[in-house]
Amino acid sequence: MRILLIEDDARVAAHVCKGLGDAGHAVNHCADGREGLLCAAAQRFDAIVLDRLLPGVDGLKILRTLRAAGDATPVLILSALGDVDERVAGLRAGGDDYLAKPFAMSELLARVEVLARRGTAAAADGRLAVMDLEIDLFGRTVRRGERRIELTAREFRILEYLVRNAGRVVTRAMLLEHVWEYNFDPQTNIIDQHVSRLRQKVDRDAPVPLIQTVRGVGYVIRQAGQ
Amino acid sequence: MRLPPSLSLRLAMLYTMLFTISVLLLGGALYWATVHTPLQAVSLQVEREMSALSREYLERGRDALAAALELRAAGGDARMPFHAFIAPDGSVVAANLPSWPREQQSGWSRLEADYYQNGDEVDHEALTLDRRFEDGARLLVGRDIEDIDEVEEKLLAAVSGLLVGTLLLGLLGGVLMSHAIGRRIGLVTRTARRVMRGDLSGRIPLRGTADDFDQLGATLNEMLARIEALVESVRRVSDNVAHELRTPLSRLRASLEELRPAQVVAGGAAIENAIAEASALEKTFDAVLRIARIESGRHGAEFSPVDLSALLADAAELYAPAAEERGQSLQMEVAPGLRVAGDRDLLFQSFCNLLDNAIKYTPVGGWIAVRAGLRAGGVEVAITDDGPGISDADRPHLTERFFRAAATMAEPGAGLGLSLVAAVARLHGATLAFEDARPGLAARWSMRSA
Repeated sequence: MRILLIEDDARVAAHVCKGLGDAGHAVNHCADGREGLLCAAAQRFDAIVLDRLLPGVDGLKILRTLRAAGDATPVLILSALGDVDERVAGLRAGGDDYLAKPFAMSELLARVEVLARRGTAAAADGRLAVMDLEIDLFGRTVRRGERRIELTAREFRILEYLVRNAGRVVTRAMLLEHVWEYNFDPQTNIIDQHVSRLRQKVDRDAPVPLIQTVRGVGYVIRQAGQ
Repeated sequence: MRLPPSLSLRLAMLYTMLFTISVLLLGGALYWATVHTPLQAVSLQVEREMSALSREYLERGRDALAAALELRAAGGDARMPFHAFIAPDGSVVAANLPSWPREQQSGWSRLEADYYQNGDEVDHEALTLDRRFEDGARLLVGRDIEDIDEVEEKLLAAVSGLLVGTLLLGLLGGVLMSHAIGRRIGLVTRTARRVMRGDLSGRIPLRGTADDFDQLGATLNEMLARIEALVESVRRVSDNVAHELRTPLSRLRASLEELRPAQVVAGGAAIENAIAEASALEKTFDAVLRIARIESGRHGAEFSPVDLSALLADAAELYAPAAEERGQSLQMEVAPGLRVAGDRDLLFQSFCNLLDNAIKYTPVGGWIAVRAGLRAGGVEVAITDDGPGISDADRPHLTERFFRAAATMAEPGAGLGLSLVAAVARLHGATLAFEDARPGLAARWSMRSA
């Protein structure tokens, strides 16, 4: 994927460039806002990573200009202003996601990949499938091969989110934001406990485990052959 | 009597009372001068006459007294003389009083002594002395006091009129004064509330009259300006600290993460440990900043309607596996449809922190109860556990930043969870109390319902 990084701190920028590059993405880096804006207007990117505080200009201003020009490229806002209201301001200005500094590279990578691909759409009959797992979104039922799996409403939503983003790593914070729809830091392994229950139901007696843990990052459902 | 709480109304009542007392004093003085003193003179005169007439009767007999009474009645004194002389057998020997009491009165009495003059009834009142002699004869001697009586009546009417007027004016003045002062004080109170809610730009409106209230308002406004400037500078510092520390922390983490692959090759866990330490540092730093931000009233997210019942159910559901893992039962008694105005994420984080604490500090196999309902116009949430609770000495410090009870030192955490809860409670105008639930701890959160 082609990703535009607008970040003034050279050290952080180098780290992000390397991290995204190692994951196989092409990164264009702009160290100031004006340059970044021109770059974004000139080329098509799959995602933009935008620092909130740039020398002389608020990152949100760049974002608003971009959106006003009709550019709908997904934008992840990076900010040293990590508080909830800053996040709300960022999303209101047209941002698609928000990550507070300092961040783990793995979290940034997971978010950029999910943003850029925007999830798998369900079939017209409301079915989502990955390998031998099939989710019926209308009937709210889940099957693994011939076996029907009973899930709680929350487990269903976790699984749906993982399947929609199959092949991409989903972090705990992303699960909390998208499945519970709360934005906060639980500071404990509370999400892991929910996923581990889901996994017991989904992967019990299955020859190939579907939900895999990415150590220190989150979870992923990998398609066969990935 | 309990006085009303308003100071101005109390002052008005005090003034009304003082005015009433001065009217009463004035009336008393007038009464003394125009009624009491003349009456005193008349009674002296009547006493003297009585003793002279008594001597006349005792020394010279009935006829002499009758003659003396005739003579007295014909005399030209300004005060008309009255008398009645009744013989021991009850027959009236001489009288110009129209009537008198059948029984002898001890000492002084005032008798009606109206009489007809040219066919018109003329009102008179007689101050009379009544005496019975040893032989059974009875003598009443009096003098007309109609003029004094009239003055007395008019004086009483005037004083009672004045009293009513004073009371009415005093009460009216009191109400007006209390309104006027109450309005000025209300402006101060409202401004103070606004500032407490976090709008530091609130100022007390002044009238420009330079009166006491304007002076007070101007002084308070100066104080508010000073507070605003201080908070603003603290905010700037915390923003700078936030930015200046976050960027190097980002670099530190970047460096550590880049070292990670090398360590995978070399073995060992030093880098992983360093990254974990950096994460813990970031979290503590974030929590401190967040609490500071909430407490400075600058948390900009506007309040929106929040379904507290659903939020509590979500929090309990999120923590259900954690409780189950520790063999604890998590009980929910939450009334449906509880609505409040608030910041959804912060409220959720607060109740999660309380639940997290309850689960962490309740022994394996214990219980945690989440109860919520309407109480006295507000919403009350109680999170109770049957853990060891907390000592009375520690309880007041529970929500202090970095406070950790001695018994919990072994648990991970920085001692910021409850500080955040307290800050969020203050932001929402909620009261947060930690009570001894014997044996556990009960966290009680009450706030206005929406």
